[in-house]
Amino acid sequence: MSLARKLRYGFMKDVGAPLVMGLAGVKSRSKNIRKPDPLFGPPLKCAERLKEIMTRHYFLSRYAEGAKPVAWVTSGAPVELLRAFDFYTIYPENHGALCGAQKLGPELCAVAEEKGYHQDLCSYARIDLGVCFSGKTPVGRLPKPDLLFASNNICQTVMYWYRVLSHKWKIPLLVFDTPFNFGQISRSEINYMVMQFEEMIPVLERISGKRLDQKAFENVMRLGKESAMAWGEILAAMKTVPSPMTIFDAFVHLAPIVSLRGLPVTLDYYNILLSELKDRISKGIGAIINERKRLMWDNIAIWYKVRDFSRLFAEKGMNFVAATYTNAWAETISYMDETRPMESLAKAYSLVILNNNLDHRLNLMERLIDEYHVDGLVIHSARSCKPYSVGQYDLKRLLMERKGIPSVVIEADITDYRAYSEEQTRTRLEAFFEALEGGS
Amino acid sequence: MIMNGHPEARARRDYILEQKRGFGRRVIGVFPAYYPRELLLSMNILPVEIWDPPLESSHANAHLQSYICSVVKQGLELILQGKCRDLDAFLFPHTCDSIQNLASIVNDYLGIEKPCYFFYHPKAPYKESSRWYYIKQLEDLALRLEKQFGPLNHHEFKKKVEQGEDLRRTIGELYRRRAEGTLGLSNVEFYRILRQVEYLHPDDFLPVLTAILKRPPDRKSKGLAVIVSGILPNPPEVLEHLDRLGINVADDDFLSCSRRLLARPAISTVPFEAMADSYFGMQPCCTKGSAIEDRLKSILDKAKSSSAKGVIFQMVKFCEPELFDVPILVEGLKAEGLATLVIDTELNQGMSGQLVTRLEAFAEMIG
Ligand code: SF4
Ligand code: SF4
Repeated sequence: MSLARKLRYGFMKDVGAPLVMGLAGVKSRSKNIRKPDPLFGPPLKCAERLKEIMTRHYFLSRYAEGAKPVAWVTSGAPVELLRAFDFYTIYPENHGALCGAQKLGPELCAVAEEKGYHQDLCSYARIDLGVCFSGKTPVGRLPKPDLLFASNNICQTVMYWYRVLSHKWKIPLLVFDTPFNFGQISRSEINYMVMQFEEMIPVLERISGKRLDQKAFENVMRLGKESAMAWGEILAAMKTVPSPMTIFDAFVHLAPIVSLRGLPVTLDYYNILLSELKDRISKGIGAIINERKRLMWDNIAIWYKVRDFSRLFAEKGMNFVAATYTNAWAETISYMDETRPMESLAKAYSLVILNNNLDHRLNLMERLIDEYHVDGLVIHSARSCKPYSVGQYDLKRLLMERKGIPSVVIEADITDYRAYSEEQTRTRLEAFFEALEGGS
Repeated sequence: MIMNGHPEARARRDYILEQKRGFGRRVIGVFPAYYPRELLLSMNILPVEIWDPPLESSHANAHLQSYICSVVKQGLELILQGKCRDLDAFLFPHTCDSIQNLASIVNDYLGIEKPCYFFYHPKAPYKESSRWYYIKQLEDLALRLEKQFGPLNHHEFKKKVEQGEDLRRTIGELYRRRAEGTLGLSNVEFYRILRQVEYLHPDDFLPVLTAILKRPPDRKSKGLAVIVSGILPNPPEVLEHLDRLGINVADDDFLSCSRRLLARPAISTVPFEAMADSYFGMQPCCTKGSAIEDRLKSILDKAKSSSAKGVIFQMVKFCEPELFDVPILVEGLKAEGLATLVIDTELNQGMSGQLVTRLEAFAEMIG
């Protein structure tokens, strides 16, 4: 790490970023003064703060290169370990979602496709490779990493994808291999994962030039756990009728727990959001004006349709109050224990939804349906994501049998709207709306 | 498995029934790709692999989306059409996301009465922990199998591990002779014979290979040599066409073939240790997370030792592990002066006119 870069990073962090954020904030506040929307309750006030946090994160990342060790990390990787070595982390999946929401998916995917990456591959991966090949990104620039850190607890895809990055940049790839839970997790699996952590430490020490600071590590673990608990409480607030927030809001407010897990800013932010939600609950303010039906979402968001769907469903008085996806960052937090960091990280990260058999998912969905008073289910069959999507047809059938709730499958993709048909989706949704109303 | 009509399938079924009746063997249907074969065999279990059953996919579409590969689709179709009645259980190795979820569908949702076993193999880059865990997984699988199939006989296990070594050595020799061009088998014949490994007991398969190797070496073949890569050598019509064009497959990088059938000789003679030696001594593979440069080097070595002029990638549609590797492999091979051809294939649906043309153009290019 060079001294000049460190000084520049320090300056940008303390002076440049607050200045830029201040200007951006004024601009965005003046842009966002809108008339009240007849479909929705008042917008969440803290959304401005979220925007600032994420803009600052990407803004500063440009200056992190050469000043701090930089790692590109998968959304389900145990980042706490990297934080203890002060890595600046970039989450290509979060960046992919951002590109998707800005409808840039096809354009960036096409860059990767021109280099031979097939259109059938996960579009987060294609976007990321497109960004690497072209340097194009809506956040200005992404820093080149010193390390790649992937965990296959969400999919094997990240392992294939990060190997490509590792080859391109000739930098080390650490894979945290989490055996899939076909049944119960075993002692040897936990030991295997703990052994992997121990093997990673010398690599992290070498790349960061730092020794593992046990105290810092425990502190990060504690912060990570408290933020995830706060996130869990935020989601639980949606059990209230009417719900103070929609799942479409949650998709957006998920960004800190994904990208800034283990940092104080995340906990602070979620405390603000939580108190705003509590205030809404005490005043009976709902996220949509007329909440008649409560829905659950399965799978990752369709990022380019979040806004449209949010209006479409609100018009019908339908509010999404639960999602298997947003739940993933709160689900296993009870395993986190800073007094036994390695073992607890192993459990918390390997017991997440996508690393468990489908029966686990079915039970979770049944529980969410009951706890959140869900009337119907929208299943996004995401072409990009096989681990999330294979088995959904059976889930649909079984939930109908067991819970009697209507559901619909939307065939789409997370960011690549070339795989989305408006007409087919509308037809399916019309039938779903009818089934839902029929059951009222 | 009952698959009336298809000759290969009929031969399999007759063989399985004979094994059950004649040797009291139990039969496990095994999905791709890496699994501890010798462990099963030592418990008098015959593994029968499910890669590409020749079936019309109809029932599976109610469970799987259109963007799922046909290896997974056909495998599920086989189960749903009730053609697995002769099997005593299923074994699902953890090969990719699609097989992982297929395993869960079969075990959790289909209400199938047969036990399902799972086998998770560690993913690269390998460390000390990987080997430790692999051996634990073997021991754990043995314990689970013992509950259904009776105790593991350690003497028998050792014998089967030695036989496995023998088999890998023999297959290695077959590959070596093919690469030097003196084996005297067409492309179609080579894979028809080799793929019998997917269901024949080694007591029966080894003599087949030995007999071939005992034949005097053929005249050195004059055809053009290529390497083929992918998951499996399907559809067979591609091989037939290469035969017609006078192109010899001199070596392969198929997951179903060389990537898992060949390995460095084991160092240990302790069975579980020796099996770990074999697993970690196999060729690089995307489904195990091996570095792409290792795989590239492995294919380049094959090309060099067999004087191959090009590499054909036979892609199973929607196969993520393979699709991620191909661009870098193609680039690296081209940089070394090798011609490459990437083709999308369906497992059992023959060849399109367009594919024929592309193969012919490729043949001209390397000719
Ligand atoms: S979308 Fe699915 S396949 Fe793609 S990175 Fe995420 S979990 Fe993996
Ligand atoms: S063909 Fe590819 S995607 Fe399909 S089962 Fe095999 S490895 Fe998995």
